[in-house]
Amino acid sequence: MFRNLRELYQYRGLLLSLTQRELKARYRGSVLGFLWTFLNPTLQMFVYTLLFSVYMRQQIEHYAFFMFIGLLPWIWFASSVGGGASSISDRRDLLTKVRFPAQVLPATVVVTNLCNFMLSVPLLIGLGIFLGHWPSWHVLLFPVVVFVQLCVTLALAYLLSAINVTFRDLQQIIANLLTMWFFVTPIFYRVTTIPVAFREVMVLANPMAVMITSYQSIFYDHELPAAGPLAMWMGIAAVLLWMASELFERRREDFAEVV
Amino acid sequence: MSTSGHPDGDAVVIRNVIKRFKKSTIRREYTTFKSELVRWLKGKRAPPEKSFIEALRGIDLTIPRGQTVGIIGRNGSGKSTLLKLMTGIYSPTSGEIEMRGRISALLDLGAGFHPDFSGRENIIINGIILGMTRAEIRARMDAIIAFSELGDFVDEPVRTYSSGMYARLAFSVATHVDPDILIVDEILAVGDEHFGKKSLGKMMEFKSAGKTIVLVTHDLGTVERWCDLAVWVDAGRIRRVGPPKEVTEEYRKAVALAEEQSMALGPAALAKDGGALPQVPVTPMAAPTPTTQNRWGNFDVEISGVRFFSPLGEVQAVDTEEPLDISIHFTTRKPVEDVGFGIALFDSQGTKVYGTNTFIESVRLPTPLPPSGTLRLSLKRVGLTPGVYTLDVCAHPAQGQEYDYHRGLYRLTVRSEIADTGVARPPHVWSLEPDRSVEELRPGRAAAEV
Repeated sequence: MFRNLRELYQYRGLLLSLTQRELKARYRGSVLGFLWTFLNPTLQMFVYTLLFSVYMRQQIEHYAFFMFIGLLPWIWFASSVGGGASSISDRRDLLTKVRFPAQVLPATVVVTNLCNFMLSVPLLIGLGIFLGHWPSWHVLLFPVVVFVQLCVTLALAYLLSAINVTFRDLQQIIANLLTMWFFVTPIFYRVTTIPVAFREVMVLANPMAVMITSYQSIFYDHELPAAGPLAMWMGIAAVLLWMASELFERRREDFAEVV
Repeated sequence: MSTSGHPDGDAVVIRNVIKRFKKSTIRREYTTFKSELVRWLKGKRAPPEKSFIEALRGIDLTIPRGQTVGIIGRNGSGKSTLLKLMTGIYSPTSGEIEMRGRISALLDLGAGFHPDFSGRENIIINGIILGMTRAEIRARMDAIIAFSELGDFVDEPVRTYSSGMYARLAFSVATHVDPDILIVDEILAVGDEHFGKKSLGKMMEFKSAGKTIVLVTHDLGTVERWCDLAVWVDAGRIRRVGPPKEVTEEYRKAVALAEEQSMALGPAALAKDGGALPQVPVTPMAAPTPTTQNRWGNFDVEISGVRFFSPLGEVQAVDTEEPLDISIHFTTRKPVEDVGFGIALFDSQGTKVYGTNTFIESVRLPTPLPPSGTLRLSLKRVGLTPGVYTLDVCAHPAQGQEYDYHRGLYRLTVRSEIADTGVARPPHVWSLEPDRSVEELRPGRAAAEV
């Protein structure tokens, strides 16, 4: 695993360039260009706010802000996992024609989306201030949560991308699974909405529920996130990362041949 | 793979490398639910050994530093697999590959090019993919742009480029990587003639800088002209390594033989023997043996010798302006009446230069043919461009099975003081006509009266 991460560090120039390329390429040619990075989540937020605070009334104050807190990290996670799954199988051109470190590809997807996420955080804080939620000192813990989420996302992206090379159905399965995952994660609703009987399980078993409730604690409730679940998922992320790099290591010689 | 730099010695050392691929028929290529289920029901056994393709069956190759090596072989013989192994895209199933030095591979032009990005932006991303650092690219940016001859277009998106411009830009980046070992797969023919020459010039620059170049190509002329060493890969093994001229010569013969035997030149790698080309006999004119790969017939009339004569005596090489006699000695086993003789001349590319026979020229031969004798074909003037030619000679009836067919067994070298090109040299003179007076120019022997 350390070898894998070290190699990833060695290729950081490549990783950075590819990330830059992805960021630039995404909205290249459109009139609003980079503004779409902010417009996309904002428009999504408006749609959900309309749906949940006008049509289906939720008893949550500053609903738009509350939901935005969960939506942004979710977009990061979902587009990383969804895009990461096919990141290797889509790049036949690179893998079969140049000596190319395959582990850079899923990492690029995750990092690109992390950049998008980080770029929209000021938007989130701005919205909070507008609605009277000044960030408290709890914000200091924000990077910790981001780091845990990065590890979980990276591990999943690695695993899925390696398996998807031979088992192409995975990317379809993941796309559908993510929709379901979206709704069982407390993004639109408080975690207390989940029936007590299985609230504990639903939250602990779902890394994104842990992350998003943590973000909500930091930005919305201005309190410390629960340390236990975060630590647990950090541990799981480490194990997952190790597994993913083992699998990756074993499979990567085949990538160029199978992809 | 070692990257330690040896000042001299070998740049590439390949030891007993075998490469197998899983056979990927469309049904087997990807795991499907059905295939998984079937496999699981059968007891989770991996697919049996026979679903592997052995692309390389034991390669041993050493390339000394600073050499330009041409790899030739028919499609599917394993050339590209070998290159990809050298590049590190594939890893060998068994055996060892040692590449000593920084590698740059031109297997594909423009890896990672994004159509919406400008040429300049693509140079950076492509350069990084090819292994340069950002600083290196920035330092070489101007040289790369200058070499690509894109001018102001370099700031336009790549999608607006013509395919020639695209290739030029990509080639330009790839050759500025400054590798110790350059691996090239059949892409020298980039762009128009002018750029083609420039690319070759760049190659020569690499060569004179003492870099090692490994080149896969089907253009045997390139191998003969530019390479120090030719490697012939056949059916996943190295068939021959040696001086380019000799190797390409034997390769051409083997291909000709294969065509003549109408060997199914299908996908080589799928064939049982890996699609090896037939062996070229070392002593072509071995005794009156019955049918061989380049001699066949029922031998009722046997061609027992073919020789070339100039006015000075027997020759193997002749000046193109000289006369030449081709003498065909024959013997008969039984009296035959329906017989004619034919010849066909081929250049080193295998192109038929000329072919004729006694039937189409209505030459009257004595009937029955004498038990033995010599038929002589006299050329007043050879009239070919310099090079090595091979001759087919045949005795055959008007219809049906040949008596004796010799395929490419005789070799004639044509010399010339003038390095003209093409196939044939028609008798010619140059003349210049100043107003009102005619003056003849006679370059060399070209104007010799014919």
